[in-house]
Amino acid sequence: MELIINSIPLLFKGLQNTIIMSLVATLLATVLGILFAFIQIFSHFFIKAVVEVLLYLIRGVPLLVLLFMMYYSLLYSGLQVDPLIGGSVVIGVYFAAFMSEVFRGGILSIAKGQWEAGYALGLRTHQVVGSILIYQALRIIGAPFINTVIMIIKGTSLVAIIGVTELTFVGRQIVERTLEPFLIFSLVALIYIVMCYSLSLLAQHLERKIGYVN
Amino acid sequence: MPFEIPLFIRSVPILLEGLTITLILSILAILLSAFWGVILLLSMRAGKFSNAFARVYIEIMRNTPIIVIMFFMFFGSGVIGFPLSGFIAGLLSLVLQNGAYVAEIYRAGIQGVSNRQTEAGLALGFMPKRTFLLIILPQAIRKVIAPLGTQGVMIIKDTAIVATISVAEMTFQARLLADRTAAVFEIFTALAIIYIVLTSIFNLGIRVIERKYGYKN
Repeated sequence: MELIINSIPLLFKGLQNTIIMSLVATLLATVLGILFAFIQIFSHFFIKAVVEVLLYLIRGVPLLVLLFMMYYSLLYSGLQVDPLIGGSVVIGVYFAAFMSEVFRGGILSIAKGQWEAGYALGLRTHQVVGSILIYQALRIIGAPFINTVIMIIKGTSLVAIIGVTELTFVGRQIVERTLEPFLIFSLVALIYIVMCYSLSLLAQHLERKIGYVN
Repeated sequence: MPFEIPLFIRSVPILLEGLTITLILSILAILLSAFWGVILLLSMRAGKFSNAFARVYIEIMRNTPIIVIMFFMFFGSGVIGFPLSGFIAGLLSLVLQNGAYVAEIYRAGIQGVSNRQTEAGLALGFMPKRTFLLIILPQAIRKVIAPLGTQGVMIIKDTAIVATISVAEMTFQARLLADRTAAVFEIFTALAIIYIVLTSIFNLGIRVIERKYGYKN
């Protein structure tokens, strides 16, 4: 019991970095994901092909490998970049490849009639997207978007390997000193579960409340 | 830092030494997860109590990072005097987590078969069990092929994480090599390419199966 009380402030300090990284990575993944999705749907053949291949390659590699690649490359190139920032960027770019699928799926699943109606009213492509499709797409995207955010939060735990003092890293440090792996890692897991499960409840709620009824 | 192709080429055979373990781990984890998913699905359908139990288990597994589960297994088993090897601890963690995902895929697949199919089966005089086995299940199996494939790719990629509990698979070898040679960019590029080839082969196999047996509208 004492161990739990003593560990919690330490874990919460680690949690701060987990939350910061999750937020930065989510933001980056969302912005890039939207960009990639639009390129995949609207741009010309060549750019589209390049982006599609790039995203396919990213999706085929483990996140851990990309983190190592970033970490060691920075180490040997002598650039002074905080692994916290580097890790957030790598995670953000990695999950952008998954986010783009979420957004692409959302945009494409809107009935073709909506496009045609927009054009028939004399709107241009960006006007159709901006004033008709986006509201319908958001309803479809809500739940899968949150699921990807959950993947991002869990993904930040890998940054412990390259020495960022986030939740998992702190947990491991405490275990090394106290030799209580079950207790400490259960606590760590519990914190992740609280974060991720409340998000997934939100996703379910969104789906029921504003989800696309088809 | 120029990209040196000879270093890149020389690192490939060393990485391939770890490939065997990656492959064995991936195959075992995929098969056992598929099996564990069936057991979870059965317990979800078996009754109220076991359903609640399975749901709690699934939510715990889906919302915990795999690396925390691995640390829990690996370091935990050592402390209670029953040390698991990194390979076993990693395999167990992969199966425990991905089994939960797979069970959800199965459940969604069964739910995705229209209710009218059940009604039609019952109307034709099939008993509920036979309706499920003969009418619902074959359609559900066709529906789960694609999502199972996606999950399989996730499993293959997640095997990289057992490097952190000192299993000498590919990513572990790459890290050793990177520590020794400083040709880091070449090594990790080679590693990434091997993973891409691996997941591409797997994807291709799934697509062939899907084309042959998959659900067609």
